[in-house]
Amino acid sequence: MAFLSLERVSKEFGTFTAVCDVDLAIEKGEFVSLLGPSGCGKTTTLQMIAGLVEPTKGRISLDGRDITHEKPNRRGLGVVFQSYALFPHMTVAQNVAFGLEMRRIPQAERTERVREALALVQLSAFADRYPRQLSGGQRQRVAIARALVIAPPVLLLDEPLSNLDAKLREEMQFELRRIQRKVGTTTIMVTHDQAEALSISDRVVVMESGRMTQVDAPYRLYEQPSNAFISSFVGKTNLLAGTWRRGGASSGAEIGGVLLETPAPEIADGTPVTLSIRPEKILLCDAGAGRLDGRVASRFFLGSQWLFTVETPLGIMTVSIPNHGEEPPAEGSPVGLDWSPANLRVIADNAAAA
Amino acid sequence: MHKNGPVALIFHILVLTFVLAPLVIICLVAFTPENTLSLPTAGLSLRWFEAVFAHPDFVASFWNSIWLATLSATLAVVFAVPAGLAISRYTFPGRDFLNALFLSPLIIPHLVLGVAFLRLFALIGATGSFAWLVATHIIIVTPYVLRLVLAALSGLDRSAEQAARTLGAGEWTTFRRVTAPMILPGITGGWLLAFINSFDELTMSIFVTSPATVTLPVRMYMYATESIDPMMAAVSALMIAITAVAMLVLDRAFGLDRILVGQR
Ligand SMILES: Nc1ncnc2c1ncn2[C@@H]1O[C@H](COP(=O)(O)OP(=O)(O)OP(=O)(O)O)[C@@H](O)[C@H]1O
Ligand SMILES: [Mg+2]
Repeated sequence: MAFLSLERVSKEFGTFTAVCDVDLAIEKGEFVSLLGPSGCGKTTTLQMIAGLVEPTKGRISLDGRDITHEKPNRRGLGVVFQSYALFPHMTVAQNVAFGLEMRRIPQAERTERVREALALVQLSAFADRYPRQLSGGQRQRVAIARALVIAPPVLLLDEPLSNLDAKLREEMQFELRRIQRKVGTTTIMVTHDQAEALSISDRVVVMESGRMTQVDAPYRLYEQPSNAFISSFVGKTNLLAGTWRRGGASSGAEIGGVLLETPAPEIADGTPVTLSIRPEKILLCDAGAGRLDGRVASRFFLGSQWLFTVETPLGIMTVSIPNHGEEPPAEGSPVGLDWSPANLRVIADNAAAA
Repeated sequence: MHKNGPVALIFHILVLTFVLAPLVIICLVAFTPENTLSLPTAGLSLRWFEAVFAHPDFVASFWNSIWLATLSATLAVVFAVPAGLAISRYTFPGRDFLNALFLSPLIIPHLVLGVAFLRLFALIGATGSFAWLVATHIIIVTPYVLRLVLAALSGLDRSAEQAARTLGAGEWTTFRRVTAPMILPGITGGWLLAFINSFDELTMSIFVTSPATVTLPVRMYMYATESIDPMMAAVSALMIAITAVAMLVLDRAFGLDRILVGQR
């Protein structure tokens, strides 16, 4: 039995189904991200776990205990709200101390723990300020400190880093990860930043309009997305629609009269398929030397890499190559594109696909 | 900052003059040494204030009104806060009716209310007691508190309450530590409006006061129907002073903008 499990949990608002049949089992100490576009039901799912939204159907259990209908104050989970939800009439220190006060922690220990928590989020100097005197990112960090200080068995974070600058965000990601490692806090984090989800989590749950469509380790999610939406939502990709052709020696997808060889599962001849290839899996070479010829339409310098859009007979393809310190092909110049067939993925989007 | 044009400026000055001039003049007249209502041209005097405090009926009525306003405003808060919570947060049968019922005293003329209460009290033999007077005032001032409490609740970010719940607070603790402080400006604003409305209510009170419970406005009315002298102005000045002090205290404590306009 998993530490935290959701079994066929659904939430309807009137006739609208915000979350539909979610099944999720999370182990103790795991870091799981909920990833998905705006409005897909991430916050609703998190709030059902926190006890703030009552599920319409299904069962939630924590550590073997059914908590589906338990009051939020009896669950003892740490929650960081998307809107921070700070107490406006209390100072930063009072905000952070609130949960400890409810737990009747003695004054001396309380002060000490509040101090530690504020140091952790780099807000020691702001203990006596009111939330309205803080910037957005500072408020967000108060919310994180307030949830962490009670040392909950489960942390529920609703886009906890959305308002921080890149450097601070990285530090906070590192801190969250460190705490989670050290204390073994089971953590569920909502985010719509796919890079954040990939870099920080043990597993990523992808949600689309109320349903979970893939639950996987970040690496597998990136390499084996289960549908076209995920492949383009998690990282960039080139999607090519074609028809499956089975030959004797080689099989592949025929797109615009070109046969792209792909090692792929058993698919019937003539089935429409979608192929996906990541921009960084494509190599630029001299025209005529690769599998496909094209012309550079535009190029963008991103620092560590170059991003190209190349016009090909199959349509516009995005290619990214590492910056080796030399000037790459200019706009308008003819180039060849090459890749290893193993990196060309058939997406099991179509009903007929195996 | 947005600047007013000359026309708007003149308009504002006219309105302010129109509103404030009678108050200023009454206050000045209160300090006259003369025996008639006149501006104090030949020096200032406190004789009419002394006259008020030497007049036992006025002093009794003054304390009567203070108690009445304090009690009815406070009890109105006690009723309006739970009512506001129920109306703004739950859907239940009769909710709209309840809302309309609580607000109806705003619409019904006080004259009508006065006659109705007079009749009711005669029927149940309840005239004369201070408690019944308080009851009638609670009815007319509750809508003010309810309006402000409802406004405060509708602007309230409920996620703060949810946060308190997840941090281990029960429902009552959440109300006491989070909800109540967050709507406090609405509650105190409502209390103040209720206090002021009760303190200077005349029309209905004329019908429901007994000789033992005459309020200050009723006393002034009774006095003014017989004679008009600067003592009236002194009483008026005192009433203005009390209201102004209440406003000042409230402004210091919470900021009037926040209470009356709803700005944070
Ligand atoms: N109380 C409610 N009543 C009706 N519909 C609601 C309610 N709360 C949420 N919804 C709807 O449920 C859906 C999921 O909402 P949710 O807040 O879970 O989205 P989300 O994935 O967190 O989005 P975002 O990334 O923008 O925060 C949305 O379409 C939203 O409009
Ligand atoms: Mg959300």
